Amino acid sequence: MAAKPRYPTGVHPLLREETARRRRIEARFVDAFAAANFDEVVLPIIDYVEPYASLVDSAAAKQSYRFVDREGDLVAIRADFTPMLARALAPSIADGDLPLRLYYRGDVIRVEASRLGANRELFQIGAEIVGDDSVDADVAMLRLASGLVPNPSIVYNDVSISSALIAQSDSVRDALAAKRMSPDVPAALRTIVGKLISGEATIDDVAPFAPEAAARLCAIGDALGEDDVFSLHLDDIDGSSGYYTGLRFRVYANGAKVAQGGRYDNLYERFGRRAAAIGFTFTIDDLD
Amino acid sequence: MRIAIPKGRLQDRALAVFADAGYDVPDDADLKTRRLVFDRRGIEWIFVKDGDVPVYVEHGAADAGIAGLDQILEHECTAYQPVEFPFGRCKMMLIAAPGAPPLTKVATKYPRITRQFLDARGVRAEVVPLSGSVELAAVLKLTSHVVDLVETGETVRVHHLELQDVIAEISPRLIVGKTFYRTEPKLVRELIARVEEAVNVAKL
Repeated sequence: MAAKPRYPTGVHPLLREETARRRRIEARFVDAFAAANFDEVVLPIIDYVEPYASLVDSAAAKQSYRFVDREGDLVAIRADFTPMLARALAPSIADGDLPLRLYYRGDVIRVEASRLGANRELFQIGAEIVGDDSVDADVAMLRLASGLVPNPSIVYNDVSISSALIAQSDSVRDALAAKRMSPDVPAALRTIVGKLISGEATIDDVAPFAPEAAARLCAIGDALGEDDVFSLHLDDIDGSSGYYTGLRFRVYANGAKVAQGGRYDNLYERFGRRAAAIGFTFTIDDLD
Repeated sequence: MRIAIPKGRLQDRALAVFADAGYDVPDDADLKTRRLVFDRRGIEWIFVKDGDVPVYVEHGAADAGIAGLDQILEHECTAYQPVEFPFGRCKMMLIAAPGAPPLTKVATKYPRITRQFLDARGVRAEVVPLSGSVELAAVLKLTSHVVDLVETGETVRVHHLELQDVIAEISPRLIVGKTFYRTEPKLVRELIARVEEAVNVAKL
């Protein structure tokens, strides 16, 4: 019987030119991280599903490729570095260690619903600051991300704003997800939701609903100063991962999304150690 | 900007909306040429099968388009849906074969929506994916039921089938890709405002 000429859906080898290109991009990232005093960590390619069960919803869990190992335990191929890093790091952090600046790189395999269930192997490089909940850390990460690709455009927001509105009425989620007003949105929220959808909302408009997030976004905006790279999109709520607690941002280059990140101050606590954290991940396959 | 127009059921009304919104859209003579891509004043209009509009927009091959909620749901398309249109409305329904047999097999063009509906109901039934004329499956007893769009109900009446349940109210929407929405906010706002205005004027 002849061997199959193709590879499983979503994976392919990189031959000489593609590998050289991949390594060039990788080297650029590694140099930038080293210059900013980030240290590398290496994470395993598979892990048990159970430690993460409480923090990923079923939709996100379905994104990972899972199977039963020889001992009968359910394991998953790495689909998201961030929770893995928290689980690996949390038990070993000593009080004097923080803040930590770390970066990681490697493949993830995702089963993407929008690609009709096809796998996709992605090479990612990400960085994270653990144990620093300051605005300075937010700004440092935004600036670091902006320096990694030519002509980036970075959209940022704070997820606690939409969370506060959705807590008042679940209908807000649907309206913000579709970008269309729904008759189910209660009268008291129609003005603010309408402004968010139309893009007219300002930080002052959202301040009554999420005062802390508004103040923080003001501070971040002041620190970033006048810079065309960064723009605040208060209506942005979407995100597949459920662990973000504050700042959330996405990086676009050449009309495509190349990175995303944000703050997840409760994630380390789930693995036994309280520590604020902020990070981002670039998907190298999405770069030119 | 590249806009995807669905061929078939919604095509004429989709083009009329953009024409009302002041866009220079391809006309009948253009469409007779069998070309699928037309460049008009900086906007590229592409004509694709209705079910493919969400796929093009989801992956950024088109920036925006018009798609029915049926196709948006079936493809789990995550694009934004800023405008809902008053035309082309219908219902996604569960329809039984003559004599209303027990629900055991369902023929449909929408296997994902049907699976989710059956799971939500806790019904153990087999889904038989077909690509058209699904009512025939129930008429010929291939399946006990079908899930399909119902506009007037004429097909159902002619074949002595029985409407049993509304699964979803379906309407066409303007869909806009997430990346386009974030990277070209000015173009997006103008597009939405013009299309909304055209819809509101048409309603009056």
